Amino acid sequence: MHTSTKKWLFEKLSSLILIPFMVWFLINFVKIYDNDYQQIVEFFSEQPSKILFSVFIVIAYFFSALKITEIFEDYISNDKIKNVANKLLNIFAILIPLITIIGILKL
Amino acid sequence: MEQNKNPLSPHLQIYKWQISSLLSITHRIVGVINIFAITLICLWLLYLLLGENNYEILKVFFNSLFGKFLIISLCWTFSFHILNEIRHLAWDLGYGFDLKISKITGTFVLVGSFILTILFYTMGRNFI
Repeated sequence: MHTSTKKWLFEKLSSLILIPFMVWFLINFVKIYDNDYQQIVEFFSEQPSKILFSVFIVIAYFFSALKITEIFEDYISNDKIKNVANKLLNIFAILIPLITIIGILKL
Repeated sequence: MEQNKNPLSPHLQIYKWQISSLLSITHRIVGVINIFAITLICLWLLYLLLGENNYEILKVFFNSLFGKFLIISLCWTFSFHILNEIRHLAWDLGYGFDLKISKITGTFVLVGSFILTILFYTMGRNFI
């Protein structure tokens, strides 16, 4: 399978999986955002929200990295800058969810 | 490495604005805003590790009018992205390419995003 086809399939699959996670997260975020410290900690440290939020951010960053690469492709003409931007994007898309999940485990 | 001389797209300055181009560029902008917001939410979560005393300042912020405005704005950006992504997935399956249908679904996405915002917010706040 061609790399672009693979990328397109990953993009579509991740967007499909992401939709129910976005709905779940948004409703729960609106529910808890102004709660007390203890209630928010409980939300993120208890199941199923702990695992659902972790999966949500992994898919969200994976999907975003694929989509933002397309934006770079459309707007950055210099190949060197584009490569650096893509590398930074991939590092960002791995590090942020990883650090956040470690944070959730330490809550 | 040789400089790519291909023209960049999309040509935002040249296009005549219509519902399809408006939704297309809004979809991209909203997507970037959403991942930026998710990053801030991740930082908010990491901030919890600093303890209860440090959290008070964020609680005050979230209870402010601006804080609530940001939450409702987030409801809209998520709603818009969800509906337009479903529209894109329908296109991928071969549905809704007709110009008239495309305009109708575009309008539905735009209007629906505001309705969904109200729905998400009221569901989250346990109003319904």
